[in-house]
Amino acid sequence: MFYRESGDFKTSYIQDQQIFPILQDRMFVAVVAAFAFLVVPFLINDYWEKSVLLPVLIWSLAAIGLNILTGYCGQVSLGTGGFMAVGAYASYKFTTAFPELNLFIVVLLSGGVTAMVGILFGLPSLRIKGFYLAVATLASQFFLVWLFNKVPWFYNYSASGQINAPERLIAGIAVTGPNAPPWATYLFCLTFVVVFALIAKNLTRGRFGRSWMAIRDMDIAAEIIGVAPLKAKLSAFSISSFYIGIAGALFFLVYLGAVEPTEAFGIDKSFLVLFMIIIGGLGSILGSFIGAAFMFLMPVLIKNILVNGLGWSPDIVAHLILMIVGGLIMFFLIVEPHGLAQLWRVAKEKLRLWPFPH
Amino acid sequence: MQDTVREDEILLEVRNVSLSFGGVKALEDISFDIRKGEVRAIIGPNGAGKSSMLNVINGFYHPQEGEIWFDGKLRHRMKPHQVAKLGIARTFQNIALFKGMSTLDNLMTGRYTRMHANLFAQMAWVGPAQREEIEHRQKVEEIIDFLKIQSIRKTPVGKLPYGMQKRVELGRALAAESKLLLLDEPMAGMNLEEKEDMCRFVLDVNEQFGTTIALIEHDMGVVMDISNRVVVLDYGKKLADGSPDEVRSNEEVIDAYLGVSHD
Amino acid sequence: MTPDFLNTIEVILNGLMAGVMYSLVALGFVLIFKASGIFNYAQGVMALFAALTLVGFQTGQIPFAHLVNEIFGTQIHHWGPGMNNLIAILLTILVMVLFAWLVEKLVLKHLVNQEPIILFMATIGLAFFMEGVGDLMWGADLKTLDVGIPSGGSFWWEDVTRTWVSEGYEYYGMYIDLLDVWAAGIAVLLVTVLTLFSQYTKTGRALRAVADDHQAALTVGISLRSIWVIVWSIAGIVALVAGIMWGSKSGVQFSLSLIALKALPVLILGGFTSIPGAIVGGLIIGVGEKLFEFSIGPLVGGATENWFAYVLALFFLMFRPQGLFGERIIERV
Repeated sequence: MFYRESGDFKTSYIQDQQIFPILQDRMFVAVVAAFAFLVVPFLINDYWEKSVLLPVLIWSLAAIGLNILTGYCGQVSLGTGGFMAVGAYASYKFTTAFPELNLFIVVLLSGGVTAMVGILFGLPSLRIKGFYLAVATLASQFFLVWLFNKVPWFYNYSASGQINAPERLIAGIAVTGPNAPPWATYLFCLTFVVVFALIAKNLTRGRFGRSWMAIRDMDIAAEIIGVAPLKAKLSAFSISSFYIGIAGALFFLVYLGAVEPTEAFGIDKSFLVLFMIIIGGLGSILGSFIGAAFMFLMPVLIKNILVNGLGWSPDIVAHLILMIVGGLIMFFLIVEPHGLAQLWRVAKEKLRLWPFPH
Repeated sequence: MQDTVREDEILLEVRNVSLSFGGVKALEDISFDIRKGEVRAIIGPNGAGKSSMLNVINGFYHPQEGEIWFDGKLRHRMKPHQVAKLGIARTFQNIALFKGMSTLDNLMTGRYTRMHANLFAQMAWVGPAQREEIEHRQKVEEIIDFLKIQSIRKTPVGKLPYGMQKRVELGRALAAESKLLLLDEPMAGMNLEEKEDMCRFVLDVNEQFGTTIALIEHDMGVVMDISNRVVVLDYGKKLADGSPDEVRSNEEVIDAYLGVSHD
Repeated sequence: MTPDFLNTIEVILNGLMAGVMYSLVALGFVLIFKASGIFNYAQGVMALFAALTLVGFQTGQIPFAHLVNEIFGTQIHHWGPGMNNLIAILLTILVMVLFAWLVEKLVLKHLVNQEPIILFMATIGLAFFMEGVGDLMWGADLKTLDVGIPSGGSFWWEDVTRTWVSEGYEYYGMYIDLLDVWAAGIAVLLVTVLTLFSQYTKTGRALRAVADDHQAALTVGISLRSIWVIVWSIAGIVALVAGIMWGSKSGVQFSLSLIALKALPVLILGGFTSIPGAIVGGLIIGVGEKLFEFSIGPLVGGATENWFAYVLALFFLMFRPQGLFGERIIERV
């Protein structure tokens, strides 16, 4: 009854352009942010860090990245796993070659390297569209993973072929390596996610975002209006890859700590992130978070209930999860292509009118 | 008819343009010009090459022969988005709106060539990017008022009825504040009332903003009413060129439209 | 001839054989794409599913036995000693037809007029779903599939080729797997049957009409939905053939579905709408990746087959986006 726009008049374009135009939303977001930054670090333990918070945060970042490319610019990519690998290996090389380099800078640089690689593999998008492009991005997936497997320079000639995150400190506190306290790794990731989610929102609601969506919705009309396809597509590829690269770097440095490319960055990861944005909502930053949380936590929950609760064999549960995931993808594409984010919006729409829907 | 036309100043000139796809000739040795401030109609039966002509003008097709002069300069082979920057905007025969975006965003996209905030400004939003956004929002709101589409400002255009979509598409082209506006059958599929509205808008655009307009239209009544000069195409060739009255009384044009043969 | 030269020929021959296998999978893609404009990512999983079902019937497994045991604590697994190959194949075909009908009913019907890329993503969902169903139904363990196709190296060919070497060299002859030769033969047969079917039967003509123009086909009274069921059934049968060949070669398990990924670059090379394209594309990829691995592979650490096909397709796309046999696309406004 109190959640509504009426009475909350916008008197300037600045107010009308806010990310959260409704007062209650702004209050809600402020409370969540305060809780995430000020309360969670005191409550967090190892289990919550490794099994829930870190992966959800990192996958959200990857999902935002892919959503920029696929949801906003309409270019489907199946190379997410490969680009995450670029971010991970770049961060490994930076942090081992320059041990003194600040971790924030290491992660940002890794994103930059991934953005370059993204541009390179985005070049074909200028000539090909749709699933032709999706197939072309598979080239990056398989080639990159193979490269990190076969070229010893990337893994510093280690005997196992693995890469391990060395311990690095920020302000005297370990953020990577086995001794990093859960609250530190959590805050490190949270900072990246919040800052870059905000940046993504800013980019998508402005001139860049509109040029991407124009290309997505009607590329010929976009070009005739003055959007250069080259610039729009490559900027989407590079920014998207930047995000995915950062996600890859965090995934390796902070979350896993040790990585073997085929295992950690296989094609299944590309599909996982794609599913996150389909279920969360194509073309929605909020949807990227919802989708990442849903796709990561849903299988964990089902496993907990069926394997730990009812004692089923993990094998069968894994197949059941495959079925559920596949079914959900089809369900969402048929029923609600804008994903959970849209369901959330519809619910808010209803709430806004409640209790007088007519 | 209007007093905006400057007889002596030519905005766009097409010289001996020929275009073919494989063996099919879409345009053959076409020449005509568009004067500053006029409403120029391009008419002809189906398949006459009218849309191809527009596609050549905004750089979507590249003619094998001929020249295009715009604003007194010879235009070299250009991509459509470069042509847009020169100041040519257009609407499409089959509506080509950005369906996933709101009316407002469609119109804001129309101003793309006039916005310049760089990536970092965009990332931060607060500052230059926001100032620019507001400045252009004001311009777009003027167009929204002009076209009387205030109520659908935030509606995704995919959900709008046909007539409204046509109007939004005109709005998007207007938002570019171009020198030359190309309209490809702006009134196709409309009922009488909608057509009258659209005619009014076209004339108002021409008079109030002084925009030069080239339009393709099938409704002869409309063409004769609103255009200063008419060029007639048939099977990729130019059949006639002149004032509506001249064209109306031209033997060949009558034959082409009524299908009389002179064998 | 020097042994080096003969080795190269052997690599090419084996590449051709592998290429035939890729073509078999690509064929299923092309059929569905031509008739419905759908890029069916699930084609590979369909091959896996068909092969699993075939083995299940052959050996007399009870479907969903694992799941039932898990829920009810029972100990069921087989209902009998299994059945004759031919009956098992016929039953599997029936299952694939039923599957086609279900897909149309439950998925495609609701996605008519959606953008191709949405349909593509839906078939990725379908692939995951079917993989789960297949594994739950028949179990995920590695199964051997034997329908009586001879396999193993051909001694006759080894003996023949041994004599080709020039004097003074030592050479042991070429290796060629009989199964591959059979696969090539069956592929040729399959393409011939499909061509005859589409040229000389009423259904075949309807299929081609739909492929040419959906709208026009509808106006002359062809039911699009029954066409889709037929096409997905045929693709299911093609998947079964591919499943049998690949399954006989390397066993039936999850990795079988990954051949779909190998078929994608084949399609890019051959064009999405051309059956000859699928064949030629498959052969080029097969030979190309084997030759590349043979000549360049050792220099860069091997396993180049993982990516060679994609990178080749990528370069190809840059220069001829419509594929070898596809038609040039003229964009209209």
